[in-house]
Amino acid sequence: MSWLDIRRETTFVLRRKSVVILLISGLVLSLFSVWTGSMDVAQQRATIERLLEADKQDREEVIQKHSGYGEAAYYSFHLTYAEPSSLAFAALGVRDVYPWKHRVRMLALEGQIHESDTQNPELALAGRIDFAFVIAVFAPLLLILLLHDMRASERAAGRHDFLTVTARSSFWLLRAGFIVTALWLALIIPFIGGAIVNGVSASLISLVALTVAVYLLGWAALCYWVSRFRFPAPVLASFLLGVWLLTSFIIPAVGDVVIEETYQGPAGGDILMTQREAVNAAWDLPHHITMDAFEASHPQWEGKTQTSSLFEWKWYYAFQQIGDEKARPLSQAYQQTAEDRYNAAGWVAWLSPATLLQRTLTHWAQTDAPAAWQYERDVREFHAELRHFYYPLLFNGREYSAAALEERPTFKPNADD
Amino acid sequence: MSDVVICASNLCVEVQSKKILKHVSFTVHRGEILALLGGNGAGKSTTIKTFLGLLTPTSGSATLAGVNVHQSPAIVREKVAYLPESVMLYGHLTAVENIRYFLSLSGKPKTDADIIESLKRVALQESAWHTVLNGYSKGMRQKTAIALALLREAPILFLDEPTSGLDPVAIDEFNRLVTQLAEQGSTILMVTHDVYGACHVADRIGLLREGEIVGMFDAPDHGNIDSETVHNAFIEGVVA
Repeated sequence: MSWLDIRRETTFVLRRKSVVILLISGLVLSLFSVWTGSMDVAQQRATIERLLEADKQDREEVIQKHSGYGEAAYYSFHLTYAEPSSLAFAALGVRDVYPWKHRVRMLALEGQIHESDTQNPELALAGRIDFAFVIAVFAPLLLILLLHDMRASERAAGRHDFLTVTARSSFWLLRAGFIVTALWLALIIPFIGGAIVNGVSASLISLVALTVAVYLLGWAALCYWVSRFRFPAPVLASFLLGVWLLTSFIIPAVGDVVIEETYQGPAGGDILMTQREAVNAAWDLPHHITMDAFEASHPQWEGKTQTSSLFEWKWYYAFQQIGDEKARPLSQAYQQTAEDRYNAAGWVAWLSPATLLQRTLTHWAQTDAPAAWQYERDVREFHAELRHFYYPLLFNGREYSAAALEERPTFKPNADD
Repeated sequence: MSDVVICASNLCVEVQSKKILKHVSFTVHRGEILALLGGNGAGKSTTIKTFLGLLTPTSGSATLAGVNVHQSPAIVREKVAYLPESVMLYGHLTAVENIRYFLSLSGKPKTDADIIESLKRVALQESAWHTVLNGYSKGMRQKTAIALALLREAPILFLDEPTSGLDPVAIDEFNRLVTQLAEQGSTILMVTHDVYGACHVADRIGLLREGEIVGMFDAPDHGNIDSETVHNAFIEGVVA
């Protein structure tokens, strides 16, 4: 293979209108996905910026307006958020399904986390048209359209034998190679542009570019192999489209149903109801029942849980805590089910290259389900910090001091990117 | 004309378990034109495809310049130019681009001046040189393919129904060109239905019927094969 061969096939392929149209389609799809992804991520960042400003004001106002720790804790909202990674624009993942921001309060946490229920989103392929979706689903379709009739069209035109006899060496591979390279460039150039704008590291850009190349090569190898069969182009196209449909949609969809049936767990609403019922019931119970349960899990406050009036903040927060503890087994089961489903989906992904690619890209972009769970763990840790901050002030009956509230914990997002 | 360039020896070919060629033997010498005449399904195109290495013989051998086609197809293809019955060059390319593309593919690129010279030689009108082939007539396509074959400078030419669909003037021009090439040392095997054209241009004519050579006619010195004799043999032996 010489430079002249490459130039010949390049010129030849680029003179075919159908090829040029398909390559432009790939470029436009990639540009669209990068642009919408970047807009989406920019919007998320802007929302976080806006909420951070509002949160700062809220925190200051609470100190000025209230004069007790319990009251201040009750009216304080604390912003928690998971910032989108630099690569999130390319693989939006489950950030539109799982929450990436919460304004949490000192109240029972489970209800706040599970206020909105989420379906199992791990296999939900036909979602947003982000870069990952374009590569995983549309790129193979374009490759099939570009390569399926490479030989069949020559046979149909009565040119195949003439080409075979005339060619010094096999040029089919070169022609297919040029088409795959051209499609890869059409898809990856907008991504690289978007990645530079979003501040993705050079190593991650290279890794994504390489992964996309490997994925396209896999599909190209299949198309190339199928194109060798002496069947008419529509038969070859039907076969390849069947494989595409099966691996990109049918397997993930069936897998989704099977996984949901196999791994069943509580709904988010059950957790919310359990926690709320426990909290609501506490209003009607004698204080000591709540406090005894509280002391069982918080022995450090033994002897400091007595109440002398109908309403006391330490009692109020104790039953919030108890509400969470009652909902915890359900919450853990919910989490376990989600993890089981996610892991099972990982096995299904080996049968669906499109899903496998999306999982890989969302993992690198930290927009997958595990990233969402990590954020949930961060929220729980932060909420625990809040309780650790307020409990000594409430149970030790400390005199109110606005200066003490300045020490309130602030949520710090994980910035692993 | 002593050097044997094309040699079929007891050649048998089956396609989809059907015997197409049955013990076919013939030779073509350097600078000679052999025309194989036969009706539909006689095995004419199969013979050419076997020599091009596109079909594998079940027994016997096909050699070109002493090299067995099926043992070294790449080597023999370098020596061969092939003109199929229905030349389907690329419709989205011009005549010049098509020739440039196929020459590059064969590893024998030529300058555009050479290509133009060749197009002039086959009398393709100048206005068509830089026009895409989609608007070409069959004759114009055929001329473009012949120009390509000439530029290949291949010592062996295989022509499959080369004058099919051409007008009488184009046939005449084509026959003149083929004769000229043979005089310059090219060895040519053509298969055709055209008895009179074959008699006009060939040094020898073989009659092919149901995969067997049933007759061979030699041209007299400084003359053409008698078309009447061949025609009668064709009608009696081949078509009947």
